Amino acid sequence: MGFSLSLEKANAILNELKKEYRIYAPKRFEKQGRYSDTDIIRYDEIDSIEEIVTGEKSTYSPKEVLFPITQTILYFTEDEYRETKMDDKKILIFMRPCDINARKVQERIYMGNGGFDDFYYKRLREKVKFVMMECTKGWDTCFCVSMGTNKATNYAAAVRFLEDGILLDVKDEELQGYFADVAKAPFEVEFIEGNETVVELPQIPDKKVLNAIKAHPMWDEYNSRCIACGACTIACGTCTCFTTTDLFYTQNANVGERRRTYSSCQIDGFDEMAGGLIFRKSYADTMRYKVLHKVHDYKERFGENMCVGCGRCTDRCPQFISFSHTIEKLNHAIKEICEQPVSQS
Amino acid sequence: MNHDIDIKNTRINCFRQSKIKGEFLLQMRVPGGTLDAKYLEFVQHICKTWGNGLFHFGMRQCFNVPGIKYESIPAVNAYIKEYLEGVEVGMCNVKMDDTEHGFPTIGGRNIMSCIGNEHCIKANVNTFALARKIEPLIFPGHYHVKIAVAGCPNDCGKAHFNDFGMIGIAKMEYHQERCIGCGACVDACSHHATGVLKLNEFNKIDKDDCCCVGCGECTLICPASAWTRLPTKFFRVLLGARTGKQEARMAKTFLTWVTEDVILQLFANWPKFSAWVLDYKPEYLHGGHLIDRAGYQKFKEIMLDGVKLNPEAKVADNIYWAETEYRRDIHVKPLAEHKKAGPGATSGH
Repeated sequence: MGFSLSLEKANAILNELKKEYRIYAPKRFEKQGRYSDTDIIRYDEIDSIEEIVTGEKSTYSPKEVLFPITQTILYFTEDEYRETKMDDKKILIFMRPCDINARKVQERIYMGNGGFDDFYYKRLREKVKFVMMECTKGWDTCFCVSMGTNKATNYAAAVRFLEDGILLDVKDEELQGYFADVAKAPFEVEFIEGNETVVELPQIPDKKVLNAIKAHPMWDEYNSRCIACGACTIACGTCTCFTTTDLFYTQNANVGERRRTYSSCQIDGFDEMAGGLIFRKSYADTMRYKVLHKVHDYKERFGENMCVGCGRCTDRCPQFISFSHTIEKLNHAIKEICEQPVSQS
Repeated sequence: MNHDIDIKNTRINCFRQSKIKGEFLLQMRVPGGTLDAKYLEFVQHICKTWGNGLFHFGMRQCFNVPGIKYESIPAVNAYIKEYLEGVEVGMCNVKMDDTEHGFPTIGGRNIMSCIGNEHCIKANVNTFALARKIEPLIFPGHYHVKIAVAGCPNDCGKAHFNDFGMIGIAKMEYHQERCIGCGACVDACSHHATGVLKLNEFNKIDKDDCCCVGCGECTLICPASAWTRLPTKFFRVLLGARTGKQEARMAKTFLTWVTEDVILQLFANWPKFSAWVLDYKPEYLHGGHLIDRAGYQKFKEIMLDGVKLNPEAKVADNIYWAETEYRRDIHVKPLAEHKKAGPGATSGH
């Protein structure tokens, strides 16, 4: 059901919605960027439509709403524990099609993977509805069209931002109730059909080639280029890794709280096992692990690629490592390996 | 040619005497060391028309044009009217009654700065913007002072080697909920700065606020924007450095965590302080020597007079410089030879 709203009317409805919903959208945090006098755009609760940053890609992904960077999950005493509580409010998140598709990718890990649902993710997810922000132009580092994530249909509402108002397509019945006194207007959301960056998806035919890829010198450059800061994975809409930390009373270690916090395969110590065994010893190894996970390994298991082509990893890398260029290099390596004469070994 | 030249007057006019008789080197101020590139052509024209074709990057970021004949000075001064009006009056809001006769004073030296946060990933402030604001407070002025602005505590701008050196610093905000406990900031702080960060047993960061130099390395390395700069810009102000043949020394901290507003109030007091020390008779003596003559406490009293310090500001109670004395007991001399400051001070230079 399509509607056309002035900003004033849209804000009035937003205020109504806020009685029932927490409303999250990409918001500008001035001068909080990595470099002096630069901004970041990240997800936070909004009070007006004007607060939503529509003309720039958010620095960080909306996953932070459903999967906070730090989340207290339970409190424990000597012999029992209880999960943290949540209020009754539902959640609306303004997000772009690639980010909606990234939900699907994360949810294969958090919900149903190994027949198990992540309680803390699921209880948040059940409260959430998506308001899809129309995205027809994208940015230089985006490659959603190549990844097939430029379109999404599982939204409660879709929005186009105009200079003096918004156009909405409201699919969710409960949300439609808020628009009873708004004149209907036809609106069909559009999608981006081509990105500046086009990526050919790597096809690794078999395990032999995969093993050859692992040993390929293409990864070596990352030993000197990557600084293992992990910024790519924190900004990534699909990375799911976390670690848990217990906070306890200093004078009674049996009482405290358990938190979970993002972790990253790119940072030192991530794959260090008890006893000191480290699987991926170099930054070439960690980069290879991440890249293959995003565009090959996950797909082998779940049938679809993990990467949604949002390009935030490239945007955030302080060393200008471009993920799409890395995929290109991977394609070259695969080609090189596949064209080599078959060896005896 | 048989010249009769008052070289003190040409020097004040920013034409420096050459070893070649009758030749001069023009020093053009570039406040903050950053200008519209169109002036490169302008300077090139001076070099080719009146100079000897060479160009020198002045040690204080001036445009230096060597080989200008004494006879050409009026023509050069007429030509640089456009520069004075564009750069000094237009860009820096300097009050100049006369732009027809070249640079009027050489006292307040060109204010140097690194490129600052216009470009640099490390910088915390726009250095040349501050330099351009200080410019009208010290130029034109006959009291000698050397000023530099550095964008961060790396101090590529050499704040440590000027009478006054400003270093852009930032107060950091720690968003604990965004911290992933990777410890990258801890390493960055200990490798590049003062090591005030520690990863605690709960995988978050503890900070010893007292010794933070405000460099921003934590913000630069943090993958999650858990460290961000507060929007207010702060500065450390270094004082009293000098080079030279007698008692070279590096600067010491005079103020820290002061705002730009404080710095501008401070420089408004500089002519007042210099005039008091020299009893209103400017002489070729740099700022550090004036501070020595007055003593730090007197300097502090006059320079901070009427200055409204921001709440975060800290001021040096005293300063103990460490000099390189090229001759032992260089300061030990008969009482009659001691330099005096204030009313009745006579020139001892």
